[in-house]
Amino acid sequence: MSAILTVFRKETIDHLRDRRSILVAMIYPLMGPFLLGLMFFFVGGSMRVNDAKTLFVPVVHAESAPNLIRYLQKRGASVRWLPEEARQLVISGRLPFALVLPETPAASAGGPLPVRLLTNPSRFDSIVATGRLMDLLNAYQHETLRDRLSASGLSPGIMDVLAIDQENIGRSAGPAVILLTMIPPFLIFTLFTGGVHVALDATCGERDRGSFEPLMMNPVTRIQVLTGKLGATIVFTLMALAVQAIAFWVMLHVVPRESLGLIEPPGAWRVALVVSVCLPIVVFAAATQLLISAVVRSMKEAQTYLGLLPLIPGLAGMVLALAPVQAQPLLATIPTFGQTLLMGQLVRSEAISWTFVGITAVATLVSTGLLLMLGFRLYEREEILFPQ
Amino acid sequence: MIEVRGLAKSFGALQVVENVSFVARDGEITGLIGPNGAGKTTMFRLISTVMRPDRGSMLVDGIDAVKNPLPARRRLGVLPDVRGLYTRLTAREHLRYFGELHGIPRRELAARIDELIRTLRMEDFIDRRTKGFSRGQQMKVALGRALIHRPHNIMLDEPTNGLDVATSRSVRDLLRQFRDEGRCVLLTSHIMQEVAALADRIVVLADGGIVLDGTPAELRRATGLHELEEIFMAAISGPPPDLVGQTALAVGQ
Repeated sequence: MSAILTVFRKETIDHLRDRRSILVAMIYPLMGPFLLGLMFFFVGGSMRVNDAKTLFVPVVHAESAPNLIRYLQKRGASVRWLPEEARQLVISGRLPFALVLPETPAASAGGPLPVRLLTNPSRFDSIVATGRLMDLLNAYQHETLRDRLSASGLSPGIMDVLAIDQENIGRSAGPAVILLTMIPPFLIFTLFTGGVHVALDATCGERDRGSFEPLMMNPVTRIQVLTGKLGATIVFTLMALAVQAIAFWVMLHVVPRESLGLIEPPGAWRVALVVSVCLPIVVFAAATQLLISAVVRSMKEAQTYLGLLPLIPGLAGMVLALAPVQAQPLLATIPTFGQTLLMGQLVRSEAISWTFVGITAVATLVSTGLLLMLGFRLYEREEILFPQ
Repeated sequence: MIEVRGLAKSFGALQVVENVSFVARDGEITGLIGPNGAGKTTMFRLISTVMRPDRGSMLVDGIDAVKNPLPARRRLGVLPDVRGLYTRLTAREHLRYFGELHGIPRRELAARIDELIRTLRMEDFIDRRTKGFSRGQQMKVALGRALIHRPHNIMLDEPTNGLDVATSRSVRDLLRQFRDEGRCVLLTSHIMQEVAALADRIVVLADGGIVLDGTPAELRRATGLHELEEIFMAAISGPPPDLVGQTALAVGQ
């Protein structure tokens, strides 16, 4: 046990002095919260501005529908007359949308007024502004229909089939959900990068600089040495996880979240739960990194594979963010996948199943055990000690 | 004492060490010499137990190093050719790391480190990180950590490689001191004068096998040659006509 602690202590001190290890464990994890914070800030900012400001409605041939124009103005919209080249202005982003009315009022005689709404959904401000205009157009249609029914002697109530009352009981809604769902892939990515430099340097690096051989001339077993190195890798991965979890928590409390529909950001308890869910992956990731370092022939080869490694579980998380699936027990048995699902539920402040939590933890730890058994066998090979 | 009996090691089809037997005795400096690729480094790795032989046995102070490598390592101090230092650790931390791996109690370890600092004259750089160390400083740190557990058997691969004259001389004095203390010293070197000046017994390795083994006087007598370099060249290039029948394989046995 003391040999394991000695190796662990040496590796930890060694890598606390290594700028690259610190950069990967303490600075890289801040990138995710920073990027997501920027998205919250800019997307939220544009929504807030749109809500507060007068809605400008650019209209082509506004003279063709004076009633509609009057209605829009009465509801606070500011109508702007536009020339014919509205399409170009919308595509270029200079206008969020344009309302195109028929050239002559005669075109609408006897039927519905053909209204063309030019929008550009690739721009977030266009989506928001278009939504506000659609609300106004629907209200105009509804009110005009009621007036016509009243004029015909019919009860306006006959046009109401449903009385819809929508109540959002989730703790978050709107674009915030999409942004929050991006947190688990960021965390998974960090779990597979936080300790990577330590894992690399403690194995391939040790071999390349020729220090593995003198190390193994000491009266210690390779399992003891590898366990000590695994411990140091875990510590640096935990540091990266802690830095990122705290940074996400801080970010969610400083961004303009109300405008995105995030009613209540995840509290400290939720963040602690997210970190707890990640703990089995910390060991799993460290074991995977040490295993890959054991089978490769050089530091460069290891860097290539270990650089690609986080993408596999990270991409699975991105897919889940775009196409959410239900938390099925079978999915819980796939290391990192089950945790991604759980973290998604936690950051969206949804209820989680403790059975699911248990299955994910046990399945991941069993996989880790198998990886370590394989790793210990590989580290018994003679060639592991000597540069190729 | 290190006893090697019938040692063999191959890598795939390449037979690197074949049926090698020799003894490095206590109170003697044994020089293991041979041309490049003769199998010296592999021999060192086998004896230091970081490699397992295909056949044969090795006894370190009577301990079977193949079956019980960990107790054998406690009796061995090895200076490999590649010093392999950690550039972010100080020289003192290197000594402490290896001392702790040998399970030396903290207070005793501190005393031994102080002793090694004096013996190897490391006062000026003991608390500096090893990045940028000269070859001499690197060798002293590597030698210090090989000696931290006071091993009875000391193996050194090219101990003076790349060192200046003064440092080389102090290393040679140190090796003689170990011999005089009754320890077993086994070294490899490419510098024939050094081996001739230091070694009480010389083992010549060529093509994975022993071609000569004896004291310098025995080798001179057997080969009829005076200079070690001539003896070495004669041994590795096969016996010249005038030596046929005289070249004593394993002369000392």
